[in-house]
Amino acid sequence: MPGLGARLGRGGATTTLASLADSDCIVIMGSNMAENHPVGFRFVVKARQRGARVIHVDPRFSRTSALADLHVPIRPGSDLVFLGALVNYVLNSERWNQDSFFREYVLHYTNASVIVSPEFRDTEELAGVFSGYDPEQRRYDPTSWRYAGEARPLEGERWPCRPRIEPERDPTLQHPNCAFQVVKRHFARYTPELVEAVCGVPRELFREVAETILANSGRDRTTAFCYAVAWTQHTIGTQIISCCALLQLLLGNIGRPGGGILALRGHATIQGSTDIPTLFDLLPGYLKMPRAVPEHATLADYFATERPATGLWYDMPKFMISLLKAWYGDAATPENDYGYAFLPKIGGDYSFQSILTMMKDGVIKGLFVMGMNPAVGGQNARLARQALANLDWLVVRDVHEIETASFWYDAPEVRNGEVRPQDIKTEVFFLPAAIAAEKDGTFTNTHRLVQWHDKAVEPPGDARSEAHFVYHLGRRLKELYAEDESPAGQQIRALTWDYPTVGPHGEPDLMAVAREISGYRFADGRPVAGFHELADDGSTACGCWIYAGMVTPEGEHLAKRRRGDDRASLDWGFAWPANRRILYNRASADPQGRPWSERKKWIWWDPEQGRWVGYDVPDFPATKPPDYSPPPDARGLAAHPGTAPFVMMLDGLGWLFVPVGLLDGPLPTHYEPWETPVENLLYPAQPRSPVAPVFVRPDNPYHEIGDPRYPCVITTYRLTEHHTAGGMSRWVPWLAELQPAGFVEISPELARELGIANGDWVVVETARGSAEARALVTERVQPLTVAGRTVHVIGMPWHFGFGGLATGGIANELATLVEDPNSLIHEAKSFTCRIRKGRLREGERE
Amino acid sequence: MPELRTWRHRRAPGEPVSAETRESYYGLPVIHGPHWRWPIVFYFVLGGLAGGSAVLAAAARLVGGDWARPIVRVGRYLAFLAMLPGPLLLIVDLGRPERFHHMLRVVKFRSPMSLGVWGLIGFTATAFLSLLRQAATDGLLGRANVVARLARRLPDRILAGASLVPAFFLAGYTGVLLGATAVPLWARNALRLGPLFLCSALSSAAAALSLLLGSRAETARARHAVERVERLALVGEIALLEAVRLGSGPVIGRPLAEGLAGGAFAGARASAMGALALHLLAAVSPRWLGRALRLVASLLALGGAFLLRSSIVFGGHRSAEDPDATFEFTRASR
Amino acid sequence: MSSTTGVGRTRARPGAFGFLTDTTLCIGCKACEVACKQWNQLPMDDFGFTGMSYDNTGDLGATTWRHVAFIERIADREGRRPARLQPFQSNWLMLSDVCKHCVNAGCMEACPTGAIIRTEFDTVVIQQDICNGCGYCVPACPFGVPALSPLDGKAHKCTLCYDRLRDGLEPACSKACPTDAIQFGPVHALLDRAKARVAELRAQGVEAHLYGDEALGGTGGIGGLNAFFILTAPPEVYNLPAKPELPQRRVLPGFLTSALAALVLGIATVLAFRREKEGHRA
Ligand SMILES: Nc1nc2c(c(=O)[nH]1)N[C@H]1C(S)=C(S)[C@@H](COP(=O)(O)OP(=O)(O)OC[C@H]3O[C@@H](n4cnc5c(=O)[nH]c(N)nc54)[C@H](O)[C@@H]3O)O[C@H]1N2
Ligand SMILES: Nc1nc2c(c(=O)[nH]1)N[C@H]1C(S)=C(S)[C@@H](COP(=O)(O)OP(=O)(O)OC[C@H]3O[C@@H](n4cnc5c(=O)[nH]c(N)nc54)[C@H](O)[C@@H]3O)O[C@H]1N2
Ligand code: SF4
Ligand code: SF4
Ligand code: SF4
Ligand code: SF4
Ligand code: SF4
Ligand SMILES: [Mo]
Repeated sequence: MPGLGARLGRGGATTTLASLADSDCIVIMGSNMAENHPVGFRFVVKARQRGARVIHVDPRFSRTSALADLHVPIRPGSDLVFLGALVNYVLNSERWNQDSFFREYVLHYTNASVIVSPEFRDTEELAGVFSGYDPEQRRYDPTSWRYAGEARPLEGERWPCRPRIEPERDPTLQHPNCAFQVVKRHFARYTPELVEAVCGVPRELFREVAETILANSGRDRTTAFCYAVAWTQHTIGTQIISCCALLQLLLGNIGRPGGGILALRGHATIQGSTDIPTLFDLLPGYLKMPRAVPEHATLADYFATERPATGLWYDMPKFMISLLKAWYGDAATPENDYGYAFLPKIGGDYSFQSILTMMKDGVIKGLFVMGMNPAVGGQNARLARQALANLDWLVVRDVHEIETASFWYDAPEVRNGEVRPQDIKTEVFFLPAAIAAEKDGTFTNTHRLVQWHDKAVEPPGDARSEAHFVYHLGRRLKELYAEDESPAGQQIRALTWDYPTVGPHGEPDLMAVAREISGYRFADGRPVAGFHELADDGSTACGCWIYAGMVTPEGEHLAKRRRGDDRASLDWGFAWPANRRILYNRASADPQGRPWSERKKWIWWDPEQGRWVGYDVPDFPATKPPDYSPPPDARGLAAHPGTAPFVMMLDGLGWLFVPVGLLDGPLPTHYEPWETPVENLLYPAQPRSPVAPVFVRPDNPYHEIGDPRYPCVITTYRLTEHHTAGGMSRWVPWLAELQPAGFVEISPELARELGIANGDWVVVETARGSAEARALVTERVQPLTVAGRTVHVIGMPWHFGFGGLATGGIANELATLVEDPNSLIHEAKSFTCRIRKGRLREGERE
Repeated sequence: MPELRTWRHRRAPGEPVSAETRESYYGLPVIHGPHWRWPIVFYFVLGGLAGGSAVLAAAARLVGGDWARPIVRVGRYLAFLAMLPGPLLLIVDLGRPERFHHMLRVVKFRSPMSLGVWGLIGFTATAFLSLLRQAATDGLLGRANVVARLARRLPDRILAGASLVPAFFLAGYTGVLLGATAVPLWARNALRLGPLFLCSALSSAAAALSLLLGSRAETARARHAVERVERLALVGEIALLEAVRLGSGPVIGRPLAEGLAGGAFAGARASAMGALALHLLAAVSPRWLGRALRLVASLLALGGAFLLRSSIVFGGHRSAEDPDATFEFTRASR
Repeated sequence: MSSTTGVGRTRARPGAFGFLTDTTLCIGCKACEVACKQWNQLPMDDFGFTGMSYDNTGDLGATTWRHVAFIERIADREGRRPARLQPFQSNWLMLSDVCKHCVNAGCMEACPTGAIIRTEFDTVVIQQDICNGCGYCVPACPFGVPALSPLDGKAHKCTLCYDRLRDGLEPACSKACPTDAIQFGPVHALLDRAKARVAELRAQGVEAHLYGDEALGGTGGIGGLNAFFILTAPPEVYNLPAKPELPQRRVLPGFLTSALAALVLGIATVLAFRREKEGHRA
């Protein structure tokens, strides 16, 4: 999640669900938390019982809104204007300017005072683009976004690194080009009036939200934000999130109990699968996947480009070499760059939308689908199915025969005779998978907490765990390539693949896997106590440095712990990194190391012991005093002063202005969704994101802005009763009966206009396709007044498909391929459509 | 998967969800209605007939003279015969008929159904003994055999006295049984249903007896006697029907005014009133016409008993489905 | 609601266990409904899309022992939607309904086989090996809880997880509830908690009241519900009867009026017969 990573250092949630119970105000925006994170919502309810205010900003009145004090209906895709206006409101508010807390926090803990390069030009000056824009390539050259100041190369490094940056600063925050003033100018036009015009939120309502947040931020009070995919699934998703981070930094809400930003992650261990990633461009622990470019040719080249001189990432070689050591073992030697050459280098965009098109175009011939249902969950579902139909082979491992496995005989186009099964050449292998309760393993939950789960029942029949499948697949590949001297053969042979197996089916021993992930001394196999013990000389191995210490030197798997308490519950599971619960928690103390207030105390400096103490594991060098001031040639963490909470950042500060790391600009800027019924009121010349990756191809048509044929805004979302593409819920009778059929939620106003009655069949259409559903006419959805006219928003749960017990039209038949440039996440939360009463094929009966 | 549950709801299509849910939950029933259908209606009718006949037979035996012999005889046979299908109908209606005997595990004074089972057993016993006694008297059992001799030893008057209690019980407990539910129509009329069913039992039994006694001269006195009872019972029945109708009020009483159950209820009222009117008319008519009118009146009374039970049972179904009725009832109750 | 409705009295005996279902904390996730079905291995109902908000299972029945109701009260009668809400669920009400385990239970008193018993936890349970499917408990419940199953002909309803309680476990539904909207425990302790919670809600301006104490749901002889509820709207809105009554209260009066009627009819019959004896009209 680059939105948080770019400003705070890590992409994960900055706080824990439990800490929400300490909040004074919780803003849930971009998420339907009660429905999609019901267990975590428990803590919102707790806060609420203690008197906290809960604000839900969502186009629909949902089960989350039902427990909120304030429901703010907002037009999908306009969140950045709302957040930008909050920034503007806060900066100009009396409270923010008078309470010394805010200034102190911002001055010491953020980069507010650094001077931005004079070459930088804001979108406000360039009619909607930042300086450095290349319209041909639809890319930015970020050099003009740099800090003013000098960059000094470091001498005497074992592994190369980038130069150390020494920016100019103005602690008075008056310099017109200091980050603070740049931010202030950038958001000056984001007013309550603009919010009303763009978001459809009445200005008084916006003011009430702003005042509530302001009143509940400060020395003694904290406000938390919770978001999920209703922020990420936009072409400007990263910037929406990053705007929230900016706001929370200004309000002094990061690193403190009851504050922070909770990125509510999706699947039970989606956090785990970004930590030890299933992503194409990352290695475990957020190390960048090397690319097939000269800058990454050798390990030294890689470090020279990726390794910063300051901050925790300075230790990158320790993490990277330990990883290579874990993967290649004895084959990783100083002489061969620890096997760096064995690592595949990526040559392009292999994100999910891209590989869909590559499959359709015949570039990719085979696909493993494990724990995914792209025939339903993939954008532009018809294209997705065509892509599947164009493969040579397809392996689907799932617990039910999901649409991705049955499309060749069961898809709508096959049922209606458009496509004949015998014309689909894909050979489909369907393998039964063991589900969580049928196997041991860990989940890494939404706040980075790793928790072990025990197998409750034996998997039925031939169902096996992922670990089993992948391990034995690898083992057989190694056998196959045993004699192969080609580079691919060498890569495979170099891998250590020697997990002991247990049980009658030869399941790999997950404790051995955990020990490898957690790290060990290569010589004697003794587990390391934490990532501080990792070395860059090949003497340690570690599968994922941020998980280092999960298995203790004594061999205890900390994720198995279940001892909770009323505070940080440090003895419950293991939270990466180093079991820290609230990240950046140095900021819970003032620059001198004292708690900001008794009520919000979390960790603080104990001068007697000469260390940081408190309720949590300090996310800070334990003995670095608050008054520490780094010597001029210091590097790594030693280059940060004793007041810098954001240890992953170059300068240890939260970034109001982001000089590097984001592809679409150093500051959040509002662009309309790719498909929108209205102009961009801020930048008429630049309505949509200038850098969003698009897939311009006949099978993925886009609607024009304001296309009268597609006047409605549609948003897609989830229901508590089902899970994502439905593989785990639509086949389960107890869940299927709860939401047995696909539906769209429409307002009574729109229903009246179109003559639609509650329960009627309706068809929703876009240029990509159409889906039929039942109409749920409800006042929970309402038309919004945007830019002076009425915009109808309709909502469609996207769980349904043609398989299983609960069926319905696939919402993603409607969606399109277009994404956020940073995260490459699709825009499923806002596009345009039309809706009519009736059935897809007339004459069809109930 | 079988269709497990269905419900009717009174949603007008197109109405936004909230407008209609302010006062009730999508018009869904608040309570669950009984599953009782035709077998139970027939059981109620026959039970009434049996009880009523037994009452008449017993009364005739106790206070009637020789002229009342036919009443005793026919009444006892009818009581037994009408009772016979009862247990069968009840068992058929059970979800697990093979467990009928579980009813005999307990006696529960607050459960009219439990009491009903025991009452039915009591009734069966007395009705059977009365039957035996009667059969012996009538020489149907032969002369010399043990059964006949034993049967003739049965104390006839005591038997008649003893049978009165279960007879009245059988005739009326079903009304109490209905009243002791949450079904608003029944609950509202809990005090009236027992008496109503009793009147109807007696009127229908009297009607049946008068029909069975036929027009022979030697039974004329007996017939007059039961017709007198029939008229009296009809008066009570009519009064109670009105009390039920008015006492239910417009909301709870809706099923008695609308639909099939409403029709049956109207039919029950019309039958009772018609029967009574015909009886009165018969009194002032020439003999040949009077006899015909009385015949029709008795048939009407019998049919009325059936309509009455149907309307009350099926009206109860409607009533249970109507949330307004439940709300009306429970708002008022204390 | 008058202020007297928050009182909270029960005739439940000490040691009784039950539920406090606090609708103000309910998020309508239906975890309780599913947990109940799963633990008790109840089959799915053959339902379709109802259009009744998010409720597609309708009501309690033989195969649904917990049911979550959804009541949308978003806009006023003019269609205006509020932004400012009452704290805690007020515009989209959700109620997880269940058998009330009445202190005096209509179903149990009605049951002619003694299949329905009161357990050592003061809960009301149908013994499946006794029930013969007479169906009398069904209309005898003032809350529409038990129902006959077409699958086995017997009456079914919540057992308050008797099997789990016996093993020292909490009922499946309350265990699954993520927000503690369903709280399980000794009835008297729960009632104290409920009273405190109602007071707290009222202090926050929420029109909360207790449903199922003696003063409200327990009038008419029920004596209180061992599973009671905190509501923020009149009971009818949730399809709950405002002042339910124990049906068996009507048994004795019913028999008395019947006996009276029997007496009258008996005397009338005797009189009618006597007139005949005196040789009226040959
Ligand atoms: N029960 C259940 N839980 C789940 C899942 C599930 O399928 N079922 N899925 C899991 C997964 S994979 C994920 S990623 C998470 C997702 O969790 P959420 O992000 O909470 O999921 P959604 O339901 O997709 O979207 C949330 C809300 O965003 C609103 N919305 C749409 N567009 C906008 C917008 O532009 N701005 C704002 N502010 N709101 C908007 C929608 O109305 C909807 O209520 O949930 C996880 N939890
Ligand atoms: N329109 C629209 N589209 C969306 C979204 C949206 O909000 N709107 N959300 C997007 C998001 S956030 C997500 S996360 C995706 C999700 O979309 P997908 O990942 O495509 O869909 P899932 O249904 O989550 O697929 C998980 C599958 O894994 C199976 N499974 C469960 N456990 C195991 C196991 O242990 N092993 C194996 N092999 N299989 C298992 C399940 O049965 C299920 O079929 O959809 C995206 N698509
Ligand atoms: S992760 Fe599991 S327990 Fe948590 S909310 Fe989702 S389904 Fe429920
Ligand atoms: S609610 Fe109904 S089923 Fe439950 S105990 Fe009370 S009367 Fe019996
Ligand atoms: S159906 Fe079963 S539990 Fe209900 S009253 Fe009859 S025997 Fe008792
Ligand atoms: S107590 Fe048990 S049986 Fe009753 S509703 Fe809860 S889970 Fe179901
Ligand atoms: S589990 Fe709890 S929160 Fe969820 S619907 Fe049931 S009572 Fe409500
Ligand atoms: Mo997700």
